[in-house]
Amino acid sequence: MAEKLIQIEIKRQSGPDAPSTWERFEIPWKPGMNVISAMMEIAANPVNSSGQETTPIAYDSNCLEEICGSCAMVINGKARMACTALVDKLEQPIRVQPLTKFPVVRDLAVDRSVLFENLKAVKAWVPVDGTYDLGSGPRIFPQQQEAAYPLSNCISCCCCMEVCPQFNDATGFVGAATIAQVKLFNSHPSGKVLKEERLRALAGDGGVQECGFAQNCVQACPKQLPLTEAISDVTRDVTLQAAKDFLRA
Amino acid sequence: MATAARPDAHSSPVGRGVEPLRAGKGHSFLLRKLHSLSGIVPIGAFLIEHLLSNFEALKGPLAYAEQVKFLNSLPLVRFLEVGLIFIPLAYHALYGVYIALRGKANVIYYPWSGNWMYMMQRWTGYIAFVYIIQHVIRQRFMGVSLPEHPGAAFHKVQMELSNPWMLAVYVIAMIAVCWHFSYGIWLFAAKWGITPGATARRRFGYLCAALGVILAVMGLASIYAFVGPNYKNAPDDVMPAQTRLVQPMPPQANLTVEIETHA
Amino acid sequence: MAAPKIIVVGGGLAGLAAVIKIAEAGGNVDLFSIVPVKRSHSVCAQGGINAAKNLKGEGDTTWKHFDDTIYGGDFLANQTPVKAMCEAAPGIIDLLDRMGVPFNRTPEGLLDFRRFGGTLYHRTAFAGATTGQQLLYALDEQVRRYESEGRVRKFEGWEFLSAVLDSEGVARGICAMNLRSMELVTFPADAIIVATGGNGAIFGKSTNSVVCTGSAQAALYQQGAYYANGEFIQVHPTSIPGEDKLRLMSESARGEGGRVWVPRTAGDKREAKSIPENERWYFLEEWYPKYGNLVPRDVATRAIHKVVYEHGLGIDGQPMVYLDLTHIDRATLDRKLEGILEIYEKFVGDDPREVPMKIFPGMHYTMGGLWVDFNQMTNIPGIFAAGEAEYQYHGANRLGANSLVSCIFGGFISGPNAVAYAKSLKPAQGDGGHAQELTRQRALNQQLLSSSGTENPFRIWRELGETMTKNVTVIRYNKNILETEAKIVELMDRYRNINLSDRSQWANTSFAFTRQLWNMLQIGRVIAQGARLRDESRGAHYKPDFPDRNDEKFLKTTKASYDAAANEPRFEYEDVDIQHIAPRPRRYDAAS
Repeated sequence: MAEKLIQIEIKRQSGPDAPSTWERFEIPWKPGMNVISAMMEIAANPVNSSGQETTPIAYDSNCLEEICGSCAMVINGKARMACTALVDKLEQPIRVQPLTKFPVVRDLAVDRSVLFENLKAVKAWVPVDGTYDLGSGPRIFPQQQEAAYPLSNCISCCCCMEVCPQFNDATGFVGAATIAQVKLFNSHPSGKVLKEERLRALAGDGGVQECGFAQNCVQACPKQLPLTEAISDVTRDVTLQAAKDFLRA
Repeated sequence: MATAARPDAHSSPVGRGVEPLRAGKGHSFLLRKLHSLSGIVPIGAFLIEHLLSNFEALKGPLAYAEQVKFLNSLPLVRFLEVGLIFIPLAYHALYGVYIALRGKANVIYYPWSGNWMYMMQRWTGYIAFVYIIQHVIRQRFMGVSLPEHPGAAFHKVQMELSNPWMLAVYVIAMIAVCWHFSYGIWLFAAKWGITPGATARRRFGYLCAALGVILAVMGLASIYAFVGPNYKNAPDDVMPAQTRLVQPMPPQANLTVEIETHA
Repeated sequence: MAAPKIIVVGGGLAGLAAVIKIAEAGGNVDLFSIVPVKRSHSVCAQGGINAAKNLKGEGDTTWKHFDDTIYGGDFLANQTPVKAMCEAAPGIIDLLDRMGVPFNRTPEGLLDFRRFGGTLYHRTAFAGATTGQQLLYALDEQVRRYESEGRVRKFEGWEFLSAVLDSEGVARGICAMNLRSMELVTFPADAIIVATGGNGAIFGKSTNSVVCTGSAQAALYQQGAYYANGEFIQVHPTSIPGEDKLRLMSESARGEGGRVWVPRTAGDKREAKSIPENERWYFLEEWYPKYGNLVPRDVATRAIHKVVYEHGLGIDGQPMVYLDLTHIDRATLDRKLEGILEIYEKFVGDDPREVPMKIFPGMHYTMGGLWVDFNQMTNIPGIFAAGEAEYQYHGANRLGANSLVSCIFGGFISGPNAVAYAKSLKPAQGDGGHAQELTRQRALNQQLLSSSGTENPFRIWRELGETMTKNVTVIRYNKNILETEAKIVELMDRYRNINLSDRSQWANTSFAFTRQLWNMLQIGRVIAQGARLRDESRGAHYKPDFPDRNDEKFLKTTKASYDAAANEPRFEYEDVDIQHIAPRPRRYDAAS
């Protein structure tokens, strides 16, 4: 057998309260493989490296183009998207485990609904009057668009939260992704009507103040969002808002 | 309808994760901002003053004593000491430890420079915390009372640093405190939105690093003044006259002393 | 009267658009989605969204958009709804703009438009190279707003299994499976909108997302809904071959000046950049001088296919051709195409600014889908469909950047129509069929769980994908399609002998997949058989044995219905609405 094999170890857990164990697999190598295709291979042939029958791996995935944000996991110690984790660029055995800061559903699938709750809490939307035809939108110059666009690229993968030392049970920190969305909507000509509410929300417990500026978020972000810049700008705005509120109270 | 959905059948909860933002609730923002601010003013300002004063030690025991005496002659000095040093310092220290204990450093997995600095800020904070407690107790509240005997200052410090273990503690703490302060300035600028851009942060980083190095070198030079060959075995009080004058004197007498000294 | 209760299945653009309209009209919505709605397949659309705003002084009109769409779809689309869509498109762009979509701008701060395949006008508004993502997020944000106001309840992580039909065949709710607890629950509703996207997974590897199995449409088809024009599958001319899927290289790469070529000499081993101009064959520009590299997708696809398989000029003998952007300066590329170029770089490892990309056609879009009337309602009363899940707007071939507008428009039409329908709905007799449907679905689950055969579902799926891709995509021969039909029947037999390697009842993704697989086999059959029966070439459907369009026999909508007793599709044909534009030959190589 001259077939080239890849070694992959996956941390498995049958349910939220079940104990976790590492399971090892040997999979035939193909050019251009990523971690997802390795797990697809396991699903088609669910046998581990000791030759025992096992179950296919449960994991979140959808677009496989790093745009839906589903397949974030910890691969060789780093939080990243599995679809862009090319096997040929990883040290073997490839060790894959679920994100560590989110409750495990099963195997590599985790519950990241906290981000969506946070987006609700900061009213991350433009409050349009209605969906009927009200004519064209506000004029936005290319420079403004170019500033907003990168922030609008956030795919909600939660990597920034996973790698953040401050995002944990003790702090209940909101995380960089939500703060960046606040900057995005506060900079929109009609989105900014909710600016004060968003800033006040972010001054609540778990808000911008919990940031320790370790800057891991900006390093880990697969879409290269300018997260630290957003945190800086938004924290300033939150502080000014708090000062204004104090003086006007 | 027996088969109809339960209204709360949205999802099957899988245990508690990190809780969502408590929008607009609580006071941690104020407390955290006070912590951040207190590190710059007044604590940072005091640190610079303290290091500058210590630097006088390089001019010898008498100059050092003069500096100590000058500081203790500031109006409302006891009030300043409590209001602008003790209370802010205690707050910064205690709340700082609280902050540090809640963070979960992960440099092992993410050995990036910002992450290292995050961890260092916490460790230098712990060092400063322990060091400052002993420093205040031993130098401010134990032994000769320096506000009343400024002339004894040099000797008191010299005796402390004559113990090589203590010397090591001072050297380490000096570096840690200067690190903590200069990175603290950088953090302050980044987190308060003074340096939002990456370039601005990098440039300001050089500035803070330079400041940190200067402060640490000044601090270490001052330590050298106490343990180096220049002022070996300094007298235990370079202003013995004052002892007699100050100690039993009613307040009016203080004035005379001050005029005398300045003359 | 209490506010009508509507269920929307699917949280992509069409589903969210419907939700917003219903919530705005005061209805209450339960929104079901397999994945968190923000992760729906709509995020993958890259290039843009069409609307004849005529902001470039070209004299573009909604009529021309309409004409391009009908012409591009080879006259198979019903013209009335398409006309309405094209007329609504400029308003939809304005709305999206107001919702905060970061569309690219002109220096004056107005919307910028680019040119796309199948038109001569700058008609495509775009937000960098992630237009679909930006649009989906804008709608997702609006839905989140309604959710926080209590108008919308989201059921993310639930899979639609079937409709609940009462004794008269009227929809009264849905049966869905909780993908964590694997629990089956039926949910009552006055009307249901199905917006579950395309069915790329039937072809194994495609540019579609993992959830695009067409399972919901297939379930409804098996419950009596017509499935229309299934044989019309768009193969995207420029996809990046990958081990787990095909990744799209957006048409905007051609729109911004990308040139498609192959070396003139077969098996030329030289690096692409070192091959001189006169030894490159820009075959699209040569064959179609008017549209050049911007011919519609089906034309480009077949041209690439021809160059590779008939001329034998694929790069290095592989089924691939060059899509070259290297003649455009870096700054322009980064400004206009950064997102898509990054994708290529990330998944292939080469920098497309320096090295021409290697691409090949891949299954991309499902023109067919659930049959709906002009109100977006299927033939099952109370069940509406919108977006890629229905068949209505693209005829035999979809124009680039028309999908996003059709999704939003379909959602906007279906939402209010569902509300209106719900308001006039008479109360159900008894429990409306809930108990019966729950029992039926439980039995289906039980059957799978207790099956102790030998067949792995994922391997059956691979075989389905292989035979579909081989015989029912770019070039179709009846002989080969028959092979595929037989293969699907064989796979259905093998399905009955399935072996679930995981029988647990918690977050069992392979169990859910196995249920979808049966549905994929069903629609696979509809696609194959529909393709075999259509003996002509039209739009994306191309048969070398019948190279011409045959309006006399086939200017008709294919409607497949499920014969449960025989477990096979039955076909009938319906006339196409051609009241506005008379059919004319569709040719891009000469003036039309």
